[in-house]
Amino acid sequence: MNAIDLTTPVGIAKALLPELILAGAALVVLLVVAWRHRTPADSRLAGWLSAAGLVASGAGLAWLWATDARPDGLAQMIALDSFRFAAGALILVSALATVLVSLHYLEREGMLAPEYYPLILLGTAGMLFLAGAADLIVLFLGLEVMSVAVYVLAGYDRRNVFSAEAALKYFLIGAFASGFLLYGIALTYGATGQTNISLIGAVLGVGAPSLLARMGLGLLLIGLGFKVAAVPFHMWAPDVYDGSPTPIAGYMATGVKVAAFIALTRLLVEAFPSLDQFWQPVIGVLAIATMVVGNLIALAQKTLKRMLAYSSIAHAGYLLAALWPGTHLGASAVMLYLGAYTLTTLAAFILLGSLGRNGERAVRFDDIAGLARRRPWTAIALAICMLSLLGFPGTFGFIGKWYIIQAVVASHQYILPVILVITSVISAGYYLPVIMAMYMREPGEEAEWHGLRLPRPAAWVTGIAVVALVVFGVLPRRAIDVAVQSVRQLARTEIPRAGR
Amino acid sequence: MTAFLDSIGYGSWILHVLVLLPMAGVPLILLAPERLAKHLAMVVATLEFVLSLGLWWHFDPAAGMQYRSTLAWMPQWGINYTVGMDGTSLVMVLLTTLLGPVSVLGSYKYITRRERAFYCLLLAMVTAMVGCFIALDLFVFYVFFELMLIPMYFLIGIWGGTRRLYAAIKFFVYTFLGSLLMLVAIVVLVWKVAAVTGKLSFAYDDVLRHISAAGDAAPWLFGAFALAFAIKVPMFPLHTWLPDAHTEAPTAGSVMLASVMLKIGTYGFIRFAVPFFPSVALSPAISALFVVLAVIGIVYGALVAMVQPDFKRLVAYSSVSHLGFVMLGIWGLTLQSVQGALMVMIAHGLSTGALFLLIGMMYERRHSRDIAAFGGIARSVPILSLLLTLVAFSSIGLPGLNGFIGEFLVLLGSYGRYPWATGIATTVVIFAAAYLLWAIGRMIYGRLDKPENEAIHDLSLRELIVLAPLVIGIVWMGLYPGPLLRRTEASARQFIEYAQPGRSSAINPARVEVQP
Repeated sequence: MNAIDLTTPVGIAKALLPELILAGAALVVLLVVAWRHRTPADSRLAGWLSAAGLVASGAGLAWLWATDARPDGLAQMIALDSFRFAAGALILVSALATVLVSLHYLEREGMLAPEYYPLILLGTAGMLFLAGAADLIVLFLGLEVMSVAVYVLAGYDRRNVFSAEAALKYFLIGAFASGFLLYGIALTYGATGQTNISLIGAVLGVGAPSLLARMGLGLLLIGLGFKVAAVPFHMWAPDVYDGSPTPIAGYMATGVKVAAFIALTRLLVEAFPSLDQFWQPVIGVLAIATMVVGNLIALAQKTLKRMLAYSSIAHAGYLLAALWPGTHLGASAVMLYLGAYTLTTLAAFILLGSLGRNGERAVRFDDIAGLARRRPWTAIALAICMLSLLGFPGTFGFIGKWYIIQAVVASHQYILPVILVITSVISAGYYLPVIMAMYMREPGEEAEWHGLRLPRPAAWVTGIAVVALVVFGVLPRRAIDVAVQSVRQLARTEIPRAGR
Repeated sequence: MTAFLDSIGYGSWILHVLVLLPMAGVPLILLAPERLAKHLAMVVATLEFVLSLGLWWHFDPAAGMQYRSTLAWMPQWGINYTVGMDGTSLVMVLLTTLLGPVSVLGSYKYITRRERAFYCLLLAMVTAMVGCFIALDLFVFYVFFELMLIPMYFLIGIWGGTRRLYAAIKFFVYTFLGSLLMLVAIVVLVWKVAAVTGKLSFAYDDVLRHISAAGDAAPWLFGAFALAFAIKVPMFPLHTWLPDAHTEAPTAGSVMLASVMLKIGTYGFIRFAVPFFPSVALSPAISALFVVLAVIGIVYGALVAMVQPDFKRLVAYSSVSHLGFVMLGIWGLTLQSVQGALMVMIAHGLSTGALFLLIGMMYERRHSRDIAAFGGIARSVPILSLLLTLVAFSSIGLPGLNGFIGEFLVLLGSYGRYPWATGIATTVVIFAAAYLLWAIGRMIYGRLDKPENEAIHDLSLRELIVLAPLVIGIVWMGLYPGPLLRRTEASARQFIEYAQPGRSSAINPARVEVQP
């Protein structure tokens, strides 16, 4: 064990190593692009530098994780536990994949403005802070750093009116959500006199919770509900994912979601376990609404990108269901499912990026008819992604779903799992047509993907992700162990309760 | 024979090999040139069958579950790859491995495009089916149960008929709904059992031993299991996916679907649903429901089959009717009726498989499956006509052929418990004779009035080889069913013993918190 004294500057620097490296890398890349931002080669250079920064940050994270870093005393601002490290690993994977895919994507789409990569690095740093926050103030700072970077990235394709619309919509609603969150933090502070998440838990664990605390929790739930796109706070998500450049859509659907869900899990498990009578029904209703609405609307979509957008809402519903128990088992289910979801969704968005142009908004199911003939590897990768999203045995997605069902059932809740599986059956109605179009129909005359292919780094990323989906689907032991161990240090005050 | 098999340690590896071998053929086929695909698949499937044949002699009819073997998979969650085999599993596995090479060889001419993918999927399906019949861990069973869907979905969707996309998705969604609810039921059941034993275990034996832990949830859990299996069987009124899937599927797909996949539904009732929840399954209301639905299925399937212009659809509906007999036999709960149900399962597998192959052969010649497109072909294709007549007779249940044994035993065994239902079912045998005889009468006999039917050629040597094992099985099983009955007797008795209501109310559930 590597005990880190968080009261000294050196200790804090150690604890924040991944974030610091990342922020430093962002500044370096920003300086580089200030001088070199004219040719595609310059853009590529910035991309590779960013990838190097992400890898370095990952090395820092790996060092903390491998040495089993723990706070010496109370974690004041930033958590030092495996939950943060596992989430950080997912976020860095998502960011690295996005950077590697963007190398060619930006050139193809003619988006060579130089700020792209520094924004991704800064946004990722924000996500790491959000996922590692042990204090509501850090949580808010992380959320804002992440959000501001992602607002800009969503509107990155300036000539595309939908991209601009996406950015504006995301910004307005995001600002609104931040307001809720901040107000929630203020009320929670008012109720407990603390901003530290564990201390809030300790204070609330004694005596009956005040109205103020409950209001604070409610507002926090709304704020984070916007960020994870839970129904009814999901309105922005389809338009934003649809309008953003495809790699950014993948980044938002995975990185942002991981960070926000990790923060939400930490809040509910560490700060508000004593209020679970209050938040469990709320999370339950949100989960049901999100699963049902997300899946039903996805069913009606004609284009792949919008379908993936709604499907990511549906998956937020499954994750909320995993959050419902508020137990360690539930938290590890959140972590495991986030892993499965991140790998699958990233790969799916990357593949989509090689199937169209101009943001791939126009790629309909009909357009990928016969893909299996012309591009068998793309087709089989996309098919595996669809099966994993569907939760079919043999893929990581199935392991994730089974584990969620198990976590919820262990808390004697049977309605959520039943709705989860019924909505999963509904989702077959939009995942399978993708496979159907690729394999069971004849190629059309002119499809946009005819002239395109998956460039080298993106193909590596997709290949690794898809192989991982199958490997973890067949041999899930390691992945489950990581998820289980990641929640061990979450401080959950067990509340004994009668009648359960 | 047994001594030789013992000397090579047959019993210790055979089940693993039977599951792995077809799957191992998949990369082999993918790497080899396309024109070799079918031959490689044939080699693998034949090897699988030959290896499985040893079980026939090596299997000990007197013992119950044998060849048990466990490999750790996710031990911290009580999930292990546990397999084993009793008489029921034995005959179903042998049926599956027999139909493997038959359907590969039967597809040699029928499948002309994307052969590699076709044979890979066929072999993958054999793996999943064999796995399903030998799994002794609920999680493993579920995984195999689901894995069957994807190959079949592609077989229908890529190589199927004109309405293949519709049929494929209908098939998938129906079965997926049932099986996912079963997954929830499995998890709930396992956690309820764990609350009593303090140990998570998906193992079949552990769950069966402590099944009383299900308590009040038993009706719901039974409902989820029963729904999954009833869709697969399929029982009326959940059968609507079947005619579409059968009709659109390529021949090999239809054969696998009818001969093996439907049996996984009835197998599920025998292995899981009824032994787990006997007090629910055999309560007056539920057993009345199942018996009534079984009889409706028998009557309805026969009546609808009678009016089908498409011969393949006719056979599909006749499956609904035959599987009704199996359900009646399971609920009859006597040694005769349960063994009869198993016999009907095997007989239906052989006869319907042969019927679908024959239809496929006729379709290859005439590109039509309409009964009206044929007529008097006994003159132009005598061997085909003879075999079709023979197989139709076996499907009708003519004494001396295989169909008779099972139906007779079911009717005999169920009469004591359900006289009315059995009475109605008996009369339906007449309908079965009517629809099949009428159809083959119009197709084979009479005047050869269509000129295009004169030129068609008779069965080739390959087609004879395809049909030979099935026809031999049909005749042999009809004349001498003793060996089959002997091998399934112990497992049938075991099933009846498990299915005694109230068997499991002894253990008093005490709450134990589970911390995996």
